[in-house]
Amino acid sequence: MTDFLRPVGVLVWKDIVLELRSRELVVSMLVFGLMLVVVFNFALSVTPQRVATVAPGILWASFAFAGVLAMSRAFAREREQGGLDGLLLTPVSRDSIFLGKAASIFIFMVLVEAILLPIFAGLMGFSAVSFALVLTIVLATAGFAIVGALFAAIAVQTKSREILLPVLFFPVILPVIVGAVEATKLAIGGESVVGIGHWLPLIGAFDAVFLVICPWVFSLVVEE
Amino acid sequence: MLFILLQTQVPPSNLPYLVAAFAVSWAVFFIYAFFVARRQRELQAEIRELQQALAERDSAQDSGD
Amino acid sequence: MSVAPGQQDQRSKAVLRPNIKEIFLLVTGILMLVNIYMIFMVAPTDANLGNVQRVFYFHFPMAIMSFLAFFTVFVAGALYLVRRESRWDNLSYAAAEVGVIFITLTLLTGVIWAKPVWGAWWLWTPRLTTTLILWLIYVAYMMIRAYAPNQSKAAVYGSVMGLIGFIDVLIVYFSVEWWPGIHPAPVVGPLAESDSLESTMRGVLGFSFLSFIFLLVYLVWERVSLRSTEDNVKSLRFSLRRSRAGAAAGE
Repeated sequence: MTDFLRPVGVLVWKDIVLELRSRELVVSMLVFGLMLVVVFNFALSVTPQRVATVAPGILWASFAFAGVLAMSRAFAREREQGGLDGLLLTPVSRDSIFLGKAASIFIFMVLVEAILLPIFAGLMGFSAVSFALVLTIVLATAGFAIVGALFAAIAVQTKSREILLPVLFFPVILPVIVGAVEATKLAIGGESVVGIGHWLPLIGAFDAVFLVICPWVFSLVVEE
Repeated sequence: MLFILLQTQVPPSNLPYLVAAFAVSWAVFFIYAFFVARRQRELQAEIRELQQALAERDSAQDSGD
Repeated sequence: MSVAPGQQDQRSKAVLRPNIKEIFLLVTGILMLVNIYMIFMVAPTDANLGNVQRVFYFHFPMAIMSFLAFFTVFVAGALYLVRRESRWDNLSYAAAEVGVIFITLTLLTGVIWAKPVWGAWWLWTPRLTTTLILWLIYVAYMMIRAYAPNQSKAAVYGSVMGLIGFIDVLIVYFSVEWWPGIHPAPVVGPLAESDSLESTMRGVLGFSFLSFIFLLVYLVWERVSLRSTEDNVKSLRFSLRRSRAGAAAGE
Protein backbone atom coordinates (compact mmCIF):
# COMPACT_ATOMS: atom_id res chain seq x y z
CA MET A 1 0.00 0.00 0.00
CA THR A 2 2.76 2.45 0.88
CA ASP A 3 4.53 1.46 -2.32
CA PHE A 4 1.43 2.55 -4.14
CA LEU A 5 0.76 5.74 -2.21
CA ARG A 6 4.32 7.03 -1.87
CA PRO A 7 4.71 7.92 -5.58
CA VAL A 8 1.30 9.60 -5.46
CA GLY A 9 2.52 11.78 -2.62
CA VAL A 10 5.78 12.54 -4.39
CA LEU A 11 3.96 13.53 -7.57
CA VAL A 12 1.58 15.80 -5.71
CA TRP A 13 4.48 17.36 -3.82
CA LYS A 14 6.31 17.97 -7.10
CA ASP A 15 3.29 19.82 -8.51
CA ILE A 16 2.92 21.85 -5.32
CA VAL A 17 6.60 22.83 -5.34
CA LEU A 18 6.33 23.83 -8.99
CA GLU A 19 3.28 25.90 -8.17
CA LEU A 20 4.98 27.53 -5.18
CA ARG A 21 7.79 28.61 -7.49
CA SER A 22 5.72 29.91 -10.39
CA ARG A 23 2.45 30.82 -8.59
CA GLU A 24 0.76 31.09 -11.98
CA LEU A 25 -2.04 28.54 -11.69
CA VAL A 26 -3.72 29.31 -8.38
CA VAL A 27 -3.60 33.04 -8.97
CA SER A 28 -5.15 32.79 -12.43
CA MET A 29 -7.80 30.38 -11.15
CA LEU A 30 -8.71 32.79 -8.37
CA VAL A 31 -8.89 35.82 -10.62
CA PHE A 32 -10.81 33.89 -13.26
CA GLY A 33 -13.25 32.53 -10.68
CA LEU A 34 -13.88 35.98 -9.22
CA MET A 35 -14.31 37.43 -12.67
CA LEU A 36 -16.91 34.79 -13.48
CA VAL A 37 -18.82 35.67 -10.33
CA VAL A 38 -18.91 39.30 -11.46
CA VAL A 39 -19.93 38.37 -15.00
CA PHE A 40 -22.74 36.11 -13.79
CA ASN A 41 -23.87 38.76 -11.35
CA PHE A 42 -24.53 41.09 -14.27
CA ALA A 43 -25.71 38.41 -16.67
CA LEU A 44 -28.35 37.14 -14.25
CA SER A 45 -28.96 40.45 -12.44
CA VAL A 46 -28.84 38.96 -8.97
CA THR A 47 -31.27 40.60 -6.60
CA PRO A 48 -31.56 39.69 -2.89
CA GLN A 49 -34.82 37.87 -3.58
CA ARG A 50 -33.24 35.64 -6.21
CA VAL A 51 -29.94 34.91 -4.47
CA ALA A 52 -31.08 31.60 -3.02
CA THR A 53 -32.03 30.18 -6.43
CA VAL A 54 -29.27 31.71 -8.53
CA ALA A 55 -26.23 31.72 -6.23
CA PRO A 56 -25.53 27.94 -6.24
CA GLY A 57 -25.49 27.90 -10.02
CA ILE A 58 -23.08 30.84 -10.18
CA LEU A 59 -20.87 29.27 -7.54
CA TRP A 60 -20.57 25.97 -9.39
CA ALA A 61 -20.15 27.53 -12.80
CA SER A 62 -17.22 29.51 -11.39
CA PHE A 63 -15.73 26.46 -9.68
CA ALA A 64 -16.10 24.36 -12.82
CA PHE A 65 -14.57 26.86 -15.22
CA ALA A 66 -11.74 27.71 -12.83
CA GLY A 67 -11.20 23.98 -12.36
CA VAL A 68 -10.74 23.47 -16.09
CA LEU A 69 -7.68 25.72 -15.83
CA ALA A 70 -6.15 23.40 -13.25
CA MET A 71 -6.90 20.38 -15.44
CA SER A 72 -5.43 21.77 -18.60
CA ARG A 73 -2.31 22.84 -16.73
CA ALA A 74 -1.88 19.46 -15.05
CA PHE A 75 -0.51 17.77 -18.14
CA ALA A 76 0.42 20.80 -20.23
CA ARG A 77 3.20 21.50 -17.76
CA GLU A 78 4.49 17.94 -18.16
CA ARG A 79 4.26 18.05 -21.88
CA GLU A 80 6.17 21.28 -22.36
CA GLN A 81 9.38 19.73 -21.04
CA GLY A 82 8.73 16.17 -22.08
CA GLY A 83 8.01 15.45 -18.42
CA LEU A 84 5.18 13.05 -19.17
CA ASP A 85 7.45 10.66 -21.05
CA GLY A 86 9.89 10.87 -18.15
CA LEU A 87 7.09 10.10 -15.71
CA LEU A 88 5.94 7.14 -17.75
CA LEU A 89 9.47 5.75 -17.86
CA THR A 90 9.82 5.76 -14.08
CA PRO A 91 9.04 2.45 -12.35
CA VAL A 92 5.80 3.85 -10.98
CA SER A 93 2.45 2.32 -11.79
CA ARG A 94 0.16 4.22 -14.12
CA ASP A 95 -2.48 4.19 -11.41
CA SER A 96 -0.15 6.15 -9.14
CA ILE A 97 0.56 8.68 -11.86
CA PHE A 98 -3.13 9.11 -12.50
CA LEU A 99 -4.00 9.44 -8.84
CA GLY A 100 -1.14 11.87 -8.33
CA LYS A 101 -2.44 14.09 -11.10
CA ALA A 102 -6.04 13.83 -9.93
CA ALA A 103 -4.93 14.61 -6.38
CA SER A 104 -3.01 17.71 -7.39
CA ILE A 105 -5.96 18.97 -9.45
CA PHE A 106 -8.15 18.29 -6.41
CA ILE A 107 -5.80 20.15 -4.06
CA PHE A 108 -5.51 23.20 -6.30
CA MET A 109 -9.26 23.30 -6.85
CA VAL A 110 -10.08 22.94 -3.16
CA LEU A 111 -7.56 25.64 -2.32
CA VAL A 112 -9.13 28.04 -4.79
CA GLU A 113 -12.64 27.11 -3.67
CA ALA A 114 -11.71 27.66 -0.03
CA ILE A 115 -10.70 31.22 -0.89
CA LEU A 116 -13.55 31.90 -3.30
CA LEU A 117 -16.35 30.54 -1.13
CA PRO A 118 -16.16 33.08 1.75
CA ILE A 119 -15.78 35.95 -0.73
CA PHE A 120 -18.71 34.65 -2.69
CA ALA A 121 -20.80 34.11 0.44
CA GLY A 122 -20.05 37.65 1.51
CA LEU A 123 -20.96 39.10 -1.87
CA MET A 124 -24.19 37.12 -2.15
CA GLY A 125 -25.06 37.34 1.51
CA PHE A 126 -25.40 33.77 2.71
CA SER A 127 -23.59 31.75 5.34
CA ALA A 128 -20.80 29.48 4.12
CA VAL A 129 -20.42 27.74 7.47
CA SER A 130 -22.16 24.46 6.85
CA PHE A 131 -20.81 20.95 7.08
CA ALA A 132 -23.21 19.85 4.35
CA LEU A 133 -21.86 22.52 2.01
CA VAL A 134 -18.24 21.59 2.72
CA LEU A 135 -18.98 17.91 2.15
CA THR A 136 -20.75 18.74 -1.11
CA ILE A 137 -17.79 20.76 -2.31
CA VAL A 138 -15.26 18.06 -1.39
CA LEU A 139 -17.24 15.25 -3.04
CA ALA A 140 -18.04 17.21 -6.20
CA THR A 141 -14.48 18.51 -6.54
CA ALA A 142 -13.21 14.94 -6.25
CA GLY A 143 -15.46 13.99 -9.17
CA PHE A 144 -14.18 16.98 -11.16
CA ALA A 145 -10.58 16.02 -10.47
CA ILE A 146 -10.97 12.33 -11.35
CA VAL A 147 -12.75 12.84 -14.67
CA GLY A 148 -10.77 16.00 -15.39
CA ALA A 149 -7.41 14.28 -14.98
CA LEU A 150 -8.39 11.62 -17.52
CA PHE A 151 -9.70 14.05 -20.13
CA ALA A 152 -6.76 16.36 -19.58
CA ALA A 153 -4.44 13.44 -20.34
CA ILE A 154 -6.37 12.78 -23.56
CA ALA A 155 -6.74 16.41 -24.61
CA VAL A 156 -3.06 17.21 -24.10
CA GLN A 157 -2.11 14.57 -26.66
CA THR A 158 -4.42 15.94 -29.35
CA LYS A 159 -3.82 18.71 -31.82
CA SER A 160 -6.20 21.15 -30.19
CA ARG A 161 -5.20 20.67 -26.50
CA GLU A 162 -7.01 23.18 -24.33
CA ILE A 163 -9.92 23.63 -26.71
CA LEU A 164 -10.95 19.98 -26.59
CA LEU A 165 -10.83 19.59 -22.81
CA PRO A 166 -14.01 21.52 -21.89
CA VAL A 167 -15.88 19.95 -24.81
CA LEU A 168 -15.10 16.47 -23.47
CA PHE A 169 -15.29 17.31 -19.82
CA PHE A 170 -18.56 19.20 -19.39
CA PRO A 171 -21.06 16.72 -20.83
CA VAL A 172 -19.57 13.94 -18.71
CA ILE A 173 -19.37 15.96 -15.48
CA LEU A 174 -22.91 17.31 -15.83
CA PRO A 175 -24.54 14.98 -13.28
CA VAL A 176 -22.02 16.17 -10.68
CA ILE A 177 -22.80 19.80 -11.49
CA VAL A 178 -26.54 19.15 -11.24
CA GLY A 179 -26.06 17.31 -7.94
CA ALA A 180 -23.68 19.92 -6.53
CA VAL A 181 -25.94 22.83 -7.44
CA GLU A 182 -29.01 21.20 -5.90
CA ALA A 183 -27.11 20.13 -2.78
CA THR A 184 -25.66 23.61 -2.39
CA LYS A 185 -29.12 25.11 -2.73
CA LEU A 186 -30.35 22.90 0.10
CA ALA A 187 -27.24 23.47 2.23
CA ILE A 188 -27.52 27.25 1.91
CA GLY A 189 -31.16 26.91 2.89
CA GLY A 190 -29.98 25.41 6.17
CA GLU A 191 -30.42 21.70 5.50
CA SER A 192 -28.09 19.26 7.23
CA VAL A 193 -26.24 16.43 5.45
CA VAL A 194 -29.26 14.18 5.95
CA GLY A 195 -31.62 16.79 4.54
CA ILE A 196 -29.75 16.91 1.23
CA GLY A 197 -30.95 13.42 0.54
CA HIS A 198 -30.01 11.66 -2.67
CA TRP A 199 -27.74 14.35 -4.12
CA LEU A 200 -24.70 13.46 -2.04
CA PRO A 201 -25.05 9.71 -2.74
CA LEU A 202 -25.38 10.57 -6.43
CA ILE A 203 -22.13 12.52 -6.44
CA GLY A 204 -20.50 9.86 -4.27
CA ALA A 205 -21.59 7.13 -6.69
CA PHE A 206 -20.19 9.13 -9.60
CA ASP A 207 -16.86 9.51 -7.77
CA ALA A 208 -16.71 5.82 -6.91
CA VAL A 209 -17.57 4.60 -10.42
CA PHE A 210 -15.05 6.85 -12.14
CA LEU A 211 -12.39 6.27 -9.49
CA VAL A 212 -12.49 2.63 -10.60
CA ILE A 213 -12.70 3.22 -14.36
CA CYS A 214 -10.46 6.24 -14.89
CA PRO A 215 -7.12 4.86 -13.62
CA TRP A 216 -7.59 1.81 -15.84
CA VAL A 217 -8.39 3.75 -19.00
CA PHE A 218 -5.68 6.28 -18.17
CA SER A 219 -3.08 3.54 -18.51
CA LEU A 220 -4.49 2.74 -21.95
CA VAL A 221 -4.60 6.37 -23.00
CA VAL A 222 -0.99 7.21 -22.20
CA GLU A 223 0.59 4.04 -23.55
CA GLU A 224 2.53 4.30 -26.80
CA MET B 1 -57.84 8.26 -48.58
CA LEU B 2 -61.13 10.13 -48.35
CA PHE B 3 -61.56 8.66 -44.91
CA ILE B 4 -58.32 10.20 -43.80
CA LEU B 5 -59.17 13.56 -45.30
CA LEU B 6 -62.46 13.52 -43.44
CA GLN B 7 -60.69 12.59 -40.26
CA THR B 8 -58.33 15.52 -40.44
CA GLN B 9 -61.25 17.89 -40.07
CA VAL B 10 -61.77 17.11 -36.41
CA PRO B 11 -58.31 17.17 -34.78
CA PRO B 12 -56.12 20.27 -34.96
CA SER B 13 -54.51 20.73 -38.34
CA ASN B 14 -50.79 20.59 -37.85
CA LEU B 15 -49.85 18.85 -41.04
CA PRO B 16 -46.94 21.19 -41.88
CA TYR B 17 -45.10 20.04 -38.74
CA LEU B 18 -45.62 16.41 -39.69
CA VAL B 19 -44.34 17.04 -43.20
CA ALA B 20 -41.35 18.96 -41.85
CA ALA B 21 -40.38 16.18 -39.44
CA PHE B 22 -40.55 13.49 -42.11
CA ALA B 23 -38.81 15.61 -44.71
CA VAL B 24 -35.92 16.34 -42.35
CA SER B 25 -35.53 12.69 -41.37
CA TRP B 26 -35.54 11.38 -44.91
CA ALA B 27 -33.31 14.13 -46.22
CA VAL B 28 -30.71 13.30 -43.58
CA PHE B 29 -30.84 9.54 -44.21
CA PHE B 30 -30.55 9.96 -47.96
CA ILE B 31 -27.76 12.51 -47.77
CA TYR B 32 -25.83 10.30 -45.37
CA ALA B 33 -26.30 7.18 -47.47
CA PHE B 34 -25.37 9.15 -50.59
CA PHE B 35 -22.12 10.45 -49.12
CA VAL B 36 -21.12 7.06 -47.76
CA ALA B 37 -21.83 5.42 -51.11
CA ARG B 38 -19.97 8.11 -53.04
CA ARG B 39 -16.92 7.87 -50.82
CA GLN B 40 -17.02 4.10 -51.14
CA ARG B 41 -17.01 4.40 -54.94
CA GLU B 42 -14.17 6.93 -54.93
CA LEU B 43 -12.09 4.72 -52.69
CA GLN B 44 -12.78 1.62 -54.78
CA ALA B 45 -11.56 3.53 -57.83
CA GLU B 46 -8.48 4.59 -55.93
CA ILE B 47 -7.82 1.01 -54.84
CA ARG B 48 -7.95 -0.12 -58.46
CA GLU B 49 -5.51 2.62 -59.48
CA LEU B 50 -3.15 1.82 -56.65
CA GLN B 51 -3.24 -1.88 -57.39
CA GLN B 52 -2.46 -1.17 -61.00
CA ALA B 53 0.39 1.13 -60.08
CA LEU B 54 1.77 -1.51 -57.76
CA ALA B 55 1.44 -4.24 -60.41
CA GLU B 56 3.23 -2.07 -62.98
CA ARG B 57 5.95 -1.30 -60.50
CA ASP B 58 6.42 -4.97 -59.69
CA SER B 59 6.63 -5.99 -63.33
CA ALA B 60 9.05 -3.11 -64.04
CA GLN B 61 11.24 -4.25 -61.19
CA ASP B 62 11.11 -7.84 -62.36
CA SER B 63 12.25 -6.88 -65.87
CA GLY B 64 14.88 -4.55 -64.39
CA ASP B 65 16.55 -7.27 -62.35
CA MET C 1 -6.86 -0.72 -70.37
CA SER C 2 -6.14 -4.40 -70.33
CA VAL C 3 -7.34 -6.37 -67.37
CA ALA C 4 -5.12 -9.00 -65.86
CA PRO C 5 -6.83 -12.32 -65.14
CA GLY C 6 -6.22 -11.91 -61.44
CA GLN C 7 -7.91 -8.55 -61.40
CA GLN C 8 -10.86 -9.91 -63.32
CA ASP C 9 -11.21 -12.54 -60.67
CA GLN C 10 -11.14 -9.99 -57.91
CA ARG C 11 -13.68 -7.82 -59.57
CA SER C 12 -16.17 -10.60 -60.08
CA LYS C 13 -15.73 -11.43 -56.41
CA ALA C 14 -16.29 -7.78 -55.57
CA VAL C 15 -19.52 -7.89 -57.53
CA LEU C 16 -20.63 -11.06 -55.81
CA ARG C 17 -19.80 -10.11 -52.25
CA PRO C 18 -21.89 -6.98 -51.72
CA ASN C 19 -24.91 -8.87 -52.96
CA ILE C 20 -25.95 -9.81 -49.45
CA LYS C 21 -25.72 -6.16 -48.51
CA GLU C 22 -27.71 -5.11 -51.56
CA ILE C 23 -30.43 -7.61 -50.76
CA PHE C 24 -30.45 -6.27 -47.23
CA LEU C 25 -30.75 -2.74 -48.59
CA LEU C 26 -33.65 -3.83 -50.78
CA VAL C 27 -35.44 -5.40 -47.82
CA THR C 28 -34.79 -2.27 -45.75
CA GLY C 29 -36.18 -0.08 -48.54
CA ILE C 30 -39.33 -2.17 -48.89
CA LEU C 31 -39.85 -2.23 -45.15
CA MET C 32 -39.45 1.52 -45.00
CA LEU C 33 -41.92 2.12 -47.81
CA VAL C 34 -44.47 -0.15 -46.13
CA ASN C 35 -43.69 1.61 -42.87
CA ILE C 36 -44.44 5.02 -44.37
CA TYR C 37 -47.63 3.67 -45.89
CA MET C 38 -48.69 2.31 -42.53
CA ILE C 39 -47.84 5.49 -40.69
CA PHE C 40 -49.82 7.67 -43.06
CA MET C 41 -52.62 5.38 -44.16
CA VAL C 42 -53.17 2.65 -41.59
CA ALA C 43 -52.54 4.42 -38.32
CA PRO C 44 -55.59 6.39 -37.19
CA THR C 45 -55.27 10.13 -36.71
CA ASP C 46 -54.88 10.91 -33.05
CA ALA C 47 -58.03 12.50 -31.68
CA ASN C 48 -56.22 14.98 -29.44
CA LEU C 49 -53.03 15.74 -31.30
CA GLY C 50 -54.04 15.44 -34.92
CA ASN C 51 -51.73 14.43 -37.70
CA VAL C 52 -48.54 15.52 -36.03
CA GLN C 53 -48.88 12.53 -33.72
CA ARG C 54 -47.63 10.41 -36.64
CA VAL C 55 -44.16 11.84 -36.04
CA PHE C 56 -44.11 9.61 -32.98
CA TYR C 57 -43.87 6.47 -35.13
CA PHE C 58 -40.55 7.82 -36.38
CA HIS C 59 -39.34 9.68 -33.39
CA PHE C 60 -39.59 6.94 -30.79
CA PRO C 61 -37.96 4.13 -32.81
CA MET C 62 -35.15 6.50 -33.84
CA ALA C 63 -34.50 7.33 -30.18
CA ILE C 64 -34.31 3.64 -29.30
CA MET C 65 -32.08 2.97 -32.32
CA SER C 66 -29.64 5.62 -31.14
CA PHE C 67 -29.50 3.95 -27.72
CA LEU C 68 -28.85 0.63 -29.44
CA ALA C 69 -26.12 2.24 -31.50
CA PHE C 70 -24.47 3.76 -28.43
CA PHE C 71 -24.71 0.46 -26.62
CA THR C 72 -22.88 -1.06 -29.60
CA VAL C 73 -20.24 1.67 -29.29
CA PHE C 74 -19.83 0.76 -25.64
CA VAL C 75 -19.54 -3.01 -26.21
CA ALA C 76 -17.37 -2.78 -29.34
CA GLY C 77 -15.15 -0.17 -27.69
CA ALA C 78 -14.66 -2.36 -24.61
CA LEU C 79 -13.86 -5.33 -26.87
CA TYR C 80 -11.35 -3.21 -28.76
CA LEU C 81 -9.64 -2.16 -25.54
CA VAL C 82 -9.33 -5.80 -24.48
CA ARG C 83 -8.53 -7.50 -27.80
CA ARG C 84 -7.04 -4.67 -29.88
CA GLU C 85 -8.59 -5.89 -33.12
CA SER C 86 -9.33 -3.09 -35.55
CA ARG C 87 -12.65 -4.60 -36.60
CA TRP C 88 -14.09 -3.82 -33.17
CA ASP C 89 -12.95 -0.25 -33.51
CA ASN C 90 -14.47 -0.02 -36.97
CA LEU C 91 -17.76 -1.25 -35.59
CA SER C 92 -17.54 1.15 -32.66
CA TYR C 93 -16.84 4.11 -34.91
CA ALA C 94 -19.55 3.22 -37.43
CA ALA C 95 -22.13 2.73 -34.69
CA ALA C 96 -21.18 6.06 -33.11
CA GLU C 97 -21.56 7.95 -36.37
CA VAL C 98 -24.90 6.36 -37.22
CA GLY C 99 -26.00 6.79 -33.60
CA VAL C 100 -25.23 10.51 -33.77
CA ILE C 101 -27.38 10.76 -36.89
CA PHE C 102 -30.25 8.93 -35.23
CA ILE C 103 -30.08 10.98 -32.05
CA THR C 104 -29.82 14.24 -34.01
CA LEU C 105 -32.97 13.26 -35.89
CA THR C 106 -34.62 12.24 -32.63
CA LEU C 107 -33.97 15.72 -31.26
CA LEU C 108 -35.07 17.44 -34.47
CA THR C 109 -38.30 15.47 -34.89
CA GLY C 110 -38.97 15.87 -31.17
CA VAL C 111 -38.59 19.62 -31.39
CA ILE C 112 -40.87 19.77 -34.43
CA TRP C 113 -43.42 17.60 -32.64
CA ALA C 114 -43.25 19.66 -29.46
CA LYS C 115 -44.05 22.99 -31.08
CA PRO C 116 -47.68 22.27 -32.01
CA VAL C 117 -48.30 19.91 -29.08
CA TRP C 118 -46.67 21.73 -26.16
CA GLY C 119 -46.61 25.15 -27.75
CA ALA C 120 -42.85 25.33 -27.21
CA TRP C 121 -39.94 23.94 -29.19
CA TRP C 122 -38.22 22.69 -26.08
CA LEU C 123 -39.00 21.88 -22.45
CA TRP C 124 -36.32 20.87 -19.98
CA THR C 125 -37.88 17.54 -19.11
CA PRO C 126 -35.61 14.75 -17.87
CA ARG C 127 -36.00 12.79 -21.06
CA LEU C 128 -35.17 15.71 -23.33
CA THR C 129 -32.30 16.83 -21.15
CA THR C 130 -30.80 13.35 -21.07
CA THR C 131 -31.11 13.08 -24.84
CA LEU C 132 -29.40 16.41 -25.33
CA ILE C 133 -26.52 15.39 -23.05
CA LEU C 134 -26.28 12.08 -24.87
CA TRP C 135 -25.97 14.02 -28.11
CA LEU C 136 -23.21 16.21 -26.63
CA ILE C 137 -21.28 13.19 -25.36
CA TYR C 138 -21.26 11.45 -28.72
CA VAL C 139 -20.46 14.63 -30.60
CA ALA C 140 -17.48 14.84 -28.23
CA TYR C 141 -16.72 11.23 -29.22
CA MET C 142 -16.54 12.25 -32.88
CA MET C 143 -14.34 15.26 -32.01
CA ILE C 144 -11.93 13.29 -29.86
CA ARG C 145 -11.37 10.91 -32.75
CA ALA C 146 -11.00 13.67 -35.30
CA TYR C 147 -8.33 15.45 -33.26
CA ALA C 148 -6.36 12.38 -32.19
CA PRO C 149 -2.73 12.35 -33.34
CA ASN C 150 -3.01 9.01 -35.16
CA GLN C 151 -5.44 6.23 -35.91
CA SER C 152 -4.51 3.86 -33.11
CA LYS C 153 -4.74 6.70 -30.58
CA ALA C 154 -8.08 7.67 -32.09
CA ALA C 155 -9.31 4.13 -31.59
CA VAL C 156 -8.26 4.09 -27.92
CA TYR C 157 -9.67 7.55 -27.20
CA GLY C 158 -12.90 6.65 -28.94
CA SER C 159 -13.27 3.42 -26.99
CA VAL C 160 -12.57 5.23 -23.74
CA MET C 161 -15.13 7.91 -24.56
CA GLY C 162 -17.67 5.26 -25.60
CA LEU C 163 -17.14 3.48 -22.29
CA ILE C 164 -17.28 6.56 -20.09
CA GLY C 165 -20.09 8.14 -22.07
CA PHE C 166 -22.33 5.13 -21.73
CA ILE C 167 -21.77 4.75 -17.99
CA ASP C 168 -22.18 8.48 -17.55
CA VAL C 169 -25.54 8.53 -19.30
CA LEU C 170 -26.97 6.25 -16.61
CA ILE C 171 -25.87 8.70 -13.91
CA VAL C 172 -27.06 11.66 -16.00
CA TYR C 173 -30.47 10.06 -16.24
CA PHE C 174 -30.85 9.86 -12.45
CA SER C 175 -29.51 13.34 -11.91
CA VAL C 176 -31.99 14.98 -14.25
CA GLU C 177 -34.81 12.70 -13.14
CA TRP C 178 -34.41 14.02 -9.59
CA TRP C 179 -33.81 17.56 -10.72
CA PRO C 180 -36.62 19.74 -9.34
CA GLY C 181 -36.11 22.52 -11.88
CA ILE C 182 -38.03 20.71 -14.59
CA HIS C 183 -41.61 21.03 -15.68
CA PRO C 184 -43.90 18.10 -14.99
CA ALA C 185 -43.62 15.36 -17.56
CA PRO C 186 -46.21 15.70 -20.29
CA VAL C 187 -49.17 13.47 -19.65
CA VAL C 188 -50.96 14.33 -22.85
CA GLY C 189 -50.01 12.63 -26.03
CA PRO C 190 -48.43 9.40 -27.06
CA LEU C 191 -45.36 9.90 -24.89
CA ALA C 192 -47.40 9.36 -21.76
CA GLU C 193 -47.64 5.57 -21.46
CA SER C 194 -47.61 2.83 -24.03
CA ASP C 195 -50.86 1.31 -22.78
CA SER C 196 -52.64 4.49 -23.76
CA LEU C 197 -51.89 3.54 -27.36
CA GLU C 198 -54.62 1.95 -29.30
CA SER C 199 -53.89 -1.50 -30.74
CA THR C 200 -53.56 -0.32 -34.38
CA MET C 201 -51.18 2.36 -33.24
CA ARG C 202 -49.19 -0.21 -31.34
CA GLY C 203 -49.03 -2.42 -34.42
CA VAL C 204 -47.78 0.43 -36.59
CA LEU C 205 -45.22 1.33 -33.95
CA GLY C 206 -44.00 -2.26 -33.79
CA PHE C 207 -43.60 -2.41 -37.54
CA SER C 208 -41.77 0.90 -37.49
CA PHE C 209 -39.37 -0.54 -34.94
CA LEU C 210 -38.67 -3.49 -37.20
CA SER C 211 -37.94 -1.33 -40.22
CA PHE C 212 -35.73 1.03 -38.20
CA ILE C 213 -33.70 -1.88 -36.87
CA PHE C 214 -33.07 -2.86 -40.50
CA LEU C 215 -32.12 0.72 -41.35
CA LEU C 216 -29.76 0.91 -38.39
CA VAL C 217 -28.06 -2.36 -39.24
CA TYR C 218 -27.79 -1.39 -42.88
CA LEU C 219 -26.25 2.02 -42.19
CA VAL C 220 -23.76 0.61 -39.68
CA TRP C 221 -22.87 -2.17 -42.09
CA GLU C 222 -22.31 0.29 -44.92
CA ARG C 223 -20.16 2.50 -42.69
CA VAL C 224 -18.08 -0.44 -41.46
CA SER C 225 -17.38 -1.57 -45.00
CA LEU C 226 -16.46 1.98 -45.96
CA ARG C 227 -14.02 2.04 -43.07
CA SER C 228 -12.40 -1.20 -44.10
CA THR C 229 -12.09 0.20 -47.65
CA GLU C 230 -10.42 3.27 -46.15
CA ASP C 231 -7.97 0.98 -44.36
CA ASN C 232 -7.30 -0.88 -47.61
CA VAL C 233 -6.50 2.35 -49.42
CA LYS C 234 -4.19 3.38 -46.62
CA SER C 235 -2.23 0.14 -46.65
CA LEU C 236 -2.04 0.16 -50.46
CA ARG C 237 -0.77 3.73 -50.46
CA PHE C 238 1.79 2.74 -47.87
CA SER C 239 3.08 -0.25 -49.83
CA LEU C 240 3.25 1.81 -53.03
CA ARG C 241 5.25 4.49 -51.25
CA ARG C 242 7.55 1.84 -49.80
CA SER C 243 8.12 0.22 -53.13
CA ARG C 244 8.89 3.63 -54.65
CA ALA C 245 11.28 4.42 -51.83
CA GLY C 246 12.88 1.00 -52.26
CA ALA C 247 13.34 1.59 -55.99
CA ALA C 248 14.81 5.04 -55.35
CA ALA C 249 17.27 3.59 -52.84
CA GLY C 250 18.19 0.83 -55.27
CA GLU C 251 19.11 3.19 -58.08
